[in-house]
Amino acid sequence: MTLSITRVHGTNKQRLSWTAWLGLLPFFIFGLAFEFLPLLTVIQSSLTGNGTLTFDFYRQAMDPLFLRAFGNSIKLSATTASFGVLFGTPVAYAIITTRNKFVQNALTALSDVTTNFGGAPLAFAFIVILGSTGVITLLLKQIGISLYPNFRIYSISGLTIAYLYFQLPLMILLIIPALYGLKREWHEAALNLGASTFRYWLEIALPILFPALMSGFLLLFANSFGAYATAWTLTGSDVDLITIRIAALIRGEVQLAPELADALSMISLFIMSACVIGYMWLSNLSIKARQ
Amino acid sequence: MRKRNDWWRSIVLGLFLVFMIVPLIATLIFSVSIRWDRSVWPEGYTLQWWLEVTSHPAFMMTLQNSFTASFATMFGLLVLVTPTAYWMKLKVPQGKPIIELISSFSFGVPGVVLALALIRFYSRVPLPIINHPAILVAACMVLSLPFMYRPVLNALEAIDFRVLTEAAQSLGANSWVILAEVIVPNIMSGIISGCLLVFSTVFAEFTLTNLLVGTRFKTFPLYLVEFTRFDGRQASALAVVSFVVAWVTSLLIIWVTSRGGRETTHIVGR
Repeated sequence: MTLSITRVHGTNKQRLSWTAWLGLLPFFIFGLAFEFLPLLTVIQSSLTGNGTLTFDFYRQAMDPLFLRAFGNSIKLSATTASFGVLFGTPVAYAIITTRNKFVQNALTALSDVTTNFGGAPLAFAFIVILGSTGVITLLLKQIGISLYPNFRIYSISGLTIAYLYFQLPLMILLIIPALYGLKREWHEAALNLGASTFRYWLEIALPILFPALMSGFLLLFANSFGAYATAWTLTGSDVDLITIRIAALIRGEVQLAPELADALSMISLFIMSACVIGYMWLSNLSIKARQ
Repeated sequence: MRKRNDWWRSIVLGLFLVFMIVPLIATLIFSVSIRWDRSVWPEGYTLQWWLEVTSHPAFMMTLQNSFTASFATMFGLLVLVTPTAYWMKLKVPQGKPIIELISSFSFGVPGVVLALALIRFYSRVPLPIINHPAILVAACMVLSLPFMYRPVLNALEAIDFRVLTEAAQSLGANSWVILAEVIVPNIMSGIISGCLLVFSTVFAEFTLTNLLVGTRFKTFPLYLVEFTRFDGRQASALAVVSFVVAWVTSLLIIWVTSRGGRETTHIVGR
C-alpha cells in the first residue's frame, strides 16, 4: 500500500516536471533579456576586433591611464572597507550590549535607513558640512584649524569620508548577527581562567569573528567599488575612478574604441563579483559555524 | 565593572550618532538659511529657497517621473516575482539556484556595467527601447530584484503554503485564484516590505537613469545633481526632500517587517 502511494506520487511528480518548469519561463526570459544576453554581448564585443578573437582591448585596458583609475578605485574601496570594519564592529558591539532598549532599536533603525543613503543627496550633504565654505570647515577655522587647502571634499580623501556614511551602517548590520553568536559564558570562562578582556578578544572572540569580519570587508569593498553616483556628484570627473571612466566612455565624452569600455567593464565586473562571491562563501561559513 | 565599562559605550555611540546625524541636520538648516557660508551660525532664516525651487515646473515633473519609474518597477517586479517564487516553492524547487542567480545578479555587477551592457545589446537587436523610459524600468527591475525576491521568499517560507494550496484545491480553486486570494493575503507583509524597498531604491536611483535615459526622462536625483552645480541653496532643499522620502520609506519598512514576524530584509549594495 505504502509502496504504491509513493510510486504514484513519484511518477506524478515526474510527469509534472517539465510543464512545471514552464511556469518559471517568464522569469528566465527576463533574466536572459536584461541580464545575461546583454552581459554576453559585452564579453563578446570586448574579445572581438575586426571579426576575430583578440585580447587587444584588454591590453589597451592595461594602459597606465586606466591602471591608475583601477588603482584609485581599489584604494578607495579598501580604505573605506577597512575603516567600515574597524569602526563599524565596535559600534555594533556597543549597540548590542547596551541595556537601553530604546537606544538599541533606534540605532539599529538608523543603520537600516542610512546604509540605503548614497548618491546625490548624500554627496551634497557633505559639501554643506565639509565644502570649502562648509559648516564644519568654518567651525574648525574659528578654533584655528584650517582644513583647506590640504583637505578637499572634492577629492579621494573627501570621498572616503562620504562613503563611510553608508559603509559604517552596512558593516553594523552585517556584523550584529555574528556578535550575537559570541556567548557571554566564553568571556566569563576566559576571565575565570585568568585571561584579561584584551586577551579574550585577541585570542577567542576575534578568531571566531574572523570569517564574519572578512565577509563584511568583501561586501563593503564591492559596495564601494561599484559606486558611481556619490563620486560623480561630489567630484564630477575630477577623481579618477574606474566607474567614472566607464561612464565617461558610455556618454561619449571621451572618444575611444567602444570595445575598450567593454574590456574595462569586464575587469571591473570580475573584481566586484569576486568580492561578492567571496562574501557569500564566507558568510555561509560563519552562519554554519554559529549553528 | 559594568559601571566602568559604560563610558566607552556612550562615547562610541555618541560619535556614531553625531557622524550620522550632522550631515542631515546641517543640510536641513542650510536650506532655510539666508546665508551660511561666511559665519559659524546662519545669518538669519528664510523659506525663499524652498519657494523658489518648488515653483519651477521641473520640480513637479521630475518628482512625478521618479514616482512613475518607481511604481512601474514595483508593479513589474510584483507581477514577475510573486508567481515565480510561489511556483518555484510549490512545484520546481530544483529551479532555485537559477532563480537566485538571476535575483542576485545586481549585487555583483556595477551599475555602470549594467547600463553599458543594456545599451550594447539593445542597440543591436530590433527592439526600440534604447533611450526610452522602458529600458530604465527594466534596468531598475534588475537592480531591485533582490529587494523584492528576498522578502517575498522569506514570507512564503514562513507560512504553510503547501497546506493552504491543498486546502484551496480541494475546494476547487485553480492556481491563479489560489495565488491571488489565498497566498498573496498571507504573504502581504513580505510583499509590502519588498515594494517599499524597491520604491526607495528606484526613487534614489541615479547611475542607470543618467546613463540610460539622461535628460530625456529627468528624474528627481538628476534634477538635484543639476542644482548642486549652480545653486547650492536650492539643491539643499531638494536634498532634504530626498532624505525625507528615504526616511519615511525606511521607517515604513521597519514598521511593516516588525509587525510581520521575524523576516529580515537587509538592504545590500547600491
